[in-house]
Amino acid sequence: MDNLLEIRNLHASVGDKEILKGIDLVICRGEVHAVMGPNGAGKSTLSAVLTGRPDLVVTQGSILYDGRDLLAMQPEERAWAGIFLSFQYPVEIPGVSITAFMKAAVNARRRASGLEELKPAEFLRLLKEKMAFVGMKPDFASRAVNEGFSGGEKKRNEIFQMAMLDPQFAILDETDSGLDVDALKIVASGVNALRSPEKSAIVITHYKRLLDYIVPDVVHVLKDGRIVKTGDRSLVEQIDRQGYEGLDG
Amino acid sequence: MDRLFVIGRDEVPARFEVLPGEALRLTFVKLPGLSVPVETEVLLAQCGCEVDVAGLYLCEGDDRFSLKLNLRHEAGECRSRQLFKGMASGNARALFDGRVYVAHGAQKTVALQENHSLLLDAAASVESRPQLEIYADDVECSHGATVGSLDAQQQFYMQSRGIPREEALRLQKISFLSPVLERLPESLVNEVVSRL
Repeated sequence: MDNLLEIRNLHASVGDKEILKGIDLVICRGEVHAVMGPNGAGKSTLSAVLTGRPDLVVTQGSILYDGRDLLAMQPEERAWAGIFLSFQYPVEIPGVSITAFMKAAVNARRRASGLEELKPAEFLRLLKEKMAFVGMKPDFASRAVNEGFSGGEKKRNEIFQMAMLDPQFAILDETDSGLDVDALKIVASGVNALRSPEKSAIVITHYKRLLDYIVPDVVHVLKDGRIVKTGDRSLVEQIDRQGYEGLDG
Repeated sequence: MDRLFVIGRDEVPARFEVLPGEALRLTFVKLPGLSVPVETEVLLAQCGCEVDVAGLYLCEGDDRFSLKLNLRHEAGECRSRQLFKGMASGNARALFDGRVYVAHGAQKTVALQENHSLLLDAAASVESRPQLEIYADDVECSHGATVGSLDAQQQFYMQSRGIPREEALRLQKISFLSPVLERLPESLVNEVVSRL
């Protein structure tokens, strides 16, 4: 089976407000899809539904991930199945070090896969390797998760976590927002290094900038809760020139 | 000077008198499964004293816990800082009753007090009664109290990384208590964490 993710007629609401109004989206293994669209289109809601954020209610439709009913899975089960979200607004957890946090995450996934937990030395080796990969200073490991981090550091921390967890399916939710060009390049090279024929990703963004570095296979335009246009990477150029006006399918 | 009291194991004196130059640090720990009232007084009776008081109290089941702390600035130019963190689950009840008294003439006093609580079950209760009683005019005094529940966004963030819900809750509690945990010896940190 080539499809890693199949979204069919997805409707989702927050409270009484319907945000997603019938999304159909199929992502094959090895593909990177970009989801672009104006503010309020539902881009972040889509990432939240995929990862199981509890305040969202799916009212219609289905999502199959690797042949499994994704909507029946808890957020942590989705992570164990290889889904990773790079948060638009990463959350601060004072008093919990990056090391403790990642150890809990990595070992929970290993237990769920029937593997033994990593020995402390093995874990530290992995941690150091991935910190070097995203260019984090040595004191990073003992800092509290996202506490007092700059915007760029938070986004880099997301990519670090992605590298640690080695997901099969990554969702980058506006990972480019608030990044300068140097940080953007680090993030993009981190993502590109994880590309493989088995792995897929959704890159959610407003802007062309990130997609110059992470080149998508397929581009979708989301407006008012629906995908109004799908195309190849030339669509990115078109949006960059013309904006989202007139892209109503 | 550092003094640590594990309530129920260590006798808490009825009064501490802070001496100039000693920079007294007092830390109180109340583990779950214990019902006890604690009452004590901290006295700053000489100019230039400093005291830093902190504590954590974990209450579960039918625990009844109260901490009555009377901190008295009798002399000027003294500094006091208080930080108490409490958690209550089950049917437990916890009360923090913290009075800061600044005597007439105790000018240049700095007194800060914070009390934060986590309410983990609807049947549990936490109460915070911070009181400032100030009779001097050139002072810096503040108090803050919050009662909250575990943060849903933190919880989702951790679960999205594959950390199971129960473990995420435990990490959140550690996060909440961390400013006080930092003051404890490792063996006691481990004991506290194992009881969360």
